[in-house]
Amino acid sequence: MDVKLPNLGEGADSGTVVNIYVKEGDQVSKGQSIIELETGKAVAPVPSSATGKVTKVMVAVGDKISVGAPLISVADGAGAPAPAAAKPAAPAKPGSVRASVAAAPAPVAEEEELEVEADDADAGGPPPAASPTIRHMARELGIDLRKIRGSENGGRIVMSDLRAYVQRLTRLAAQPRIAAAAAAPAAPAKKIESIDFSKWGPVVKKPMTQLRKVISQRMAESWNAVPRVTQFDEADLTIVTDLRKKYADAYDKKGAKLTLTSFAIKVVADALKKHPMFNTSIDEAAGDIIFKEYIHVGVAVDTDQGLIVPVIRDADTKDMVRLSKELNDLATKTRERKIGIEELQGGSFTISNQGGIGGGHFTPIVNKPEVAILGIGRGSLKAVVREGKIEPRLMLPLTLAYDHRVIDGGTAVRFMLEIVQGFEKFNEAAVKIS
Amino acid sequence: MDPIKTDIVVLGAGPGGYAAAFYAADMGKRVLLVEQDKRLGGVCLNRGCIPSKALLHATHLLGDARESAHRGIVFSEPQIDLEKLRTWKNSVVEKLSGGIGFLAKKRGVQVLYGRGYFEDSHTLRVETAEGQQFINYEKCIVAVGSKAALPKVFDLGNSRIMTSTEALEVEEIPEDLLVVGGGYIGMELGTVYANLGSKVVVVEMLDTILAGADPDLARPVLKYAEKNFRELRFKTKVVEMSTKGKKVRVVTEGPDKVKKEELYDRVLVSIGRTPNCNDLGLENTKVEQDERGFIKVNEKQETSDPNIMAIGDIAGGVMLAHKASKEARVAIETIVGQESTSRGVVIPAVVFTHPEVAWCGLTESEAKAKGIAVEVAKFPWGASGRALTFDKPEGLTKLIIDPETERVLGVGIVGHGAGELIAEGVLAVEMGATARDLAESVHPHPTLSETMMEAAEVFYGHPTHTIAKKREE
Repeated sequence: MDVKLPNLGEGADSGTVVNIYVKEGDQVSKGQSIIELETGKAVAPVPSSATGKVTKVMVAVGDKISVGAPLISVADGAGAPAPAAAKPAAPAKPGSVRASVAAAPAPVAEEEELEVEADDADAGGPPPAASPTIRHMARELGIDLRKIRGSENGGRIVMSDLRAYVQRLTRLAAQPRIAAAAAAPAAPAKKIESIDFSKWGPVVKKPMTQLRKVISQRMAESWNAVPRVTQFDEADLTIVTDLRKKYADAYDKKGAKLTLTSFAIKVVADALKKHPMFNTSIDEAAGDIIFKEYIHVGVAVDTDQGLIVPVIRDADTKDMVRLSKELNDLATKTRERKIGIEELQGGSFTISNQGGIGGGHFTPIVNKPEVAILGIGRGSLKAVVREGKIEPRLMLPLTLAYDHRVIDGGTAVRFMLEIVQGFEKFNEAAVKIS
Repeated sequence: MDPIKTDIVVLGAGPGGYAAAFYAADMGKRVLLVEQDKRLGGVCLNRGCIPSKALLHATHLLGDARESAHRGIVFSEPQIDLEKLRTWKNSVVEKLSGGIGFLAKKRGVQVLYGRGYFEDSHTLRVETAEGQQFINYEKCIVAVGSKAALPKVFDLGNSRIMTSTEALEVEEIPEDLLVVGGGYIGMELGTVYANLGSKVVVVEMLDTILAGADPDLARPVLKYAEKNFRELRFKTKVVEMSTKGKKVRVVTEGPDKVKKEELYDRVLVSIGRTPNCNDLGLENTKVEQDERGFIKVNEKQETSDPNIMAIGDIAGGVMLAHKASKEARVAIETIVGQESTSRGVVIPAVVFTHPEVAWCGLTESEAKAKGIAVEVAKFPWGASGRALTFDKPEGLTKLIIDPETERVLGVGIVGHGAGELIAEGVLAVEMGATARDLAESVHPHPTLSETMMEAAEVFYGHPTHTIAKKREE
């Protein structure tokens, strides 16, 4: 049987083979790493889904492969064959013909029908035939039911019609991008021309790494898709600095490194609990806001290859020792490119702390599909007026970038104040260890 | 006294006001309900729907008993104890009113009894028995309703000249009763008094009773009135009214300009209702009113004052309890940030005459007036087994249908229990159901609800119990 490339999760449906650990004739067991793949944001080992003798290796180093690609062939050793890695797609659910037609990718010409303006809403005639439930939903979504052709008796609009319409709108919204991307190879005239920089002096050309390509693609996608607002503030770091000094040794003894980022994760996790809107994602297809009942905090890690964001799971339930340890482990693994793909997925909020390197306020880009990111600069002594006197205080520059589609300014300020307060009134009990 | 601070204050505890207060409380708001009456429930419960329906039910029995002779069941002459009838009617009202008080308490809705007056856009002064109380609110919902109109020329300070409020007290059974206005209130109360034995005369300025109802729906009511009232006079107006001993002297003027002078024991003035817009202090807010005093609102029940909303009769439109209750929900949903609207909501109308008339959605007359192409499918109750077993064949169920989509745009019913039957029509219109949807839904036999299904089948040309023209496909 063939071992195929399993689904690797978000943003990583393809990659480049960088290492092959097995050769023909080797014995492999289920779970054993067979290749190493550079994909998304990491180089990750791919485990075998079967046990047996390798009869054929079907990939070579440098191959670009995508999900479902056969990697190796394994002759059944002991035990029953493992279930096929990729099941055929489930048969389409029986439903109204109209709905399934609309759900399939439709040609552009049909999509353009949507742009035809319907009659003015006030122009006589009965209102669109739809139940109060559907009408309510349409109002909530801001959809004019007159633009939808109902599939039921008398043109009655039912849930499947509304859903199909929303899906079409979503596709339509995405179309210019897709169309542009699809048009590029087909229409060389529009192709971006390479500039010959060597005309002005010597240059060195290096191909973009897979990671760099992914970063570039994701950043552009977020930039284009997310109407972002950036909020600036500062937090007085005096208390946190004192606590850090006070407990650093105790943490060291437990093998944990107490850093500002550990404090930041704790502060953010607490704030997210009180402001669940910052822990959401938008399901554009369904028109839903997904509220996550878990708090997984991503932490941007600077590696020599580029930016990678490992995720600390359930950050709200972990104590500072554990947070500090995990943070340290994840950062090390990330820098060494040993991080597993699953450790890069499922984040619900990201922290980007540049303070270790330096810098003040900066405007981070929202890590889509998350809806907000906190940027932290380097704390510096500033002249602060407290109780009428000017005092030198260590101030931490904070920047909150958020997706204005779901978060409004007022909400953002309240969240930011929560963060600032979180730092300034950090509870010693949370960091204290004996 | 310090002002009370609250999220929402609802002014008026009628079917709009208490519905708004309860829903707001259910949505987690702090709510204060202000009522100037001693009892909750508003006109509907205390001086309208409920007492009138109680009296109609009680007195229908008199008519039914009389009619029962030809079915071989003969009753002796009934004894009418007005005192007892009133007591029973009042007990119904009190039970329901007490129920509203209980529901308010359970929800933590604070009730303040007293007259409310706007000091400004976010302060309401309430004059309670214990003195003035100021309320600071985020939102106020004005649901002060309307009262029976009594023009100055009729307002002689004579208790024999009644509005519906007094008529519902049934102080006596007048021998001769004049009903001014053949709208639904006049016809309902005229029926009550006619059943009690009064000789009822109805004068109406227009040429028909129950303006707004399709003529074919009003006809059975007209026939009943012609038989059971002394007289109905159309295109006739009252030009003079004065007290003469224990009687009321009334001069009417008919279409031929001929004046007629008569004496009546009592007069019921039922010529419409006016909004309770005076002495509210609305001038201290940004609320705008139309020339008749109704508060101007948009489809979210918002007034021109961002802190104030209005629902029910005071907000204009049809003056019906269930319309007020629906607007209450729209107002609260708007306050809590939901996308709500009262536009396009189907408000059924029911007249509890004998027989009852009910309609919803588009009427046949409206379609005609607006030039909307419709097909009308009618099923006469003479063909309904259930109607005949009730001995009430005078009825009609009709569907107003869009010929193109076959969608049911309106439903009209006249007949026994039409008020109950119309609910299916409302659902059909709200759901955008087609005639086929109604025709293919099996209705239980033998019931009057079958007339809905049969009317739909009439549209397709194959009803079981009547003959219809075959529909061209």
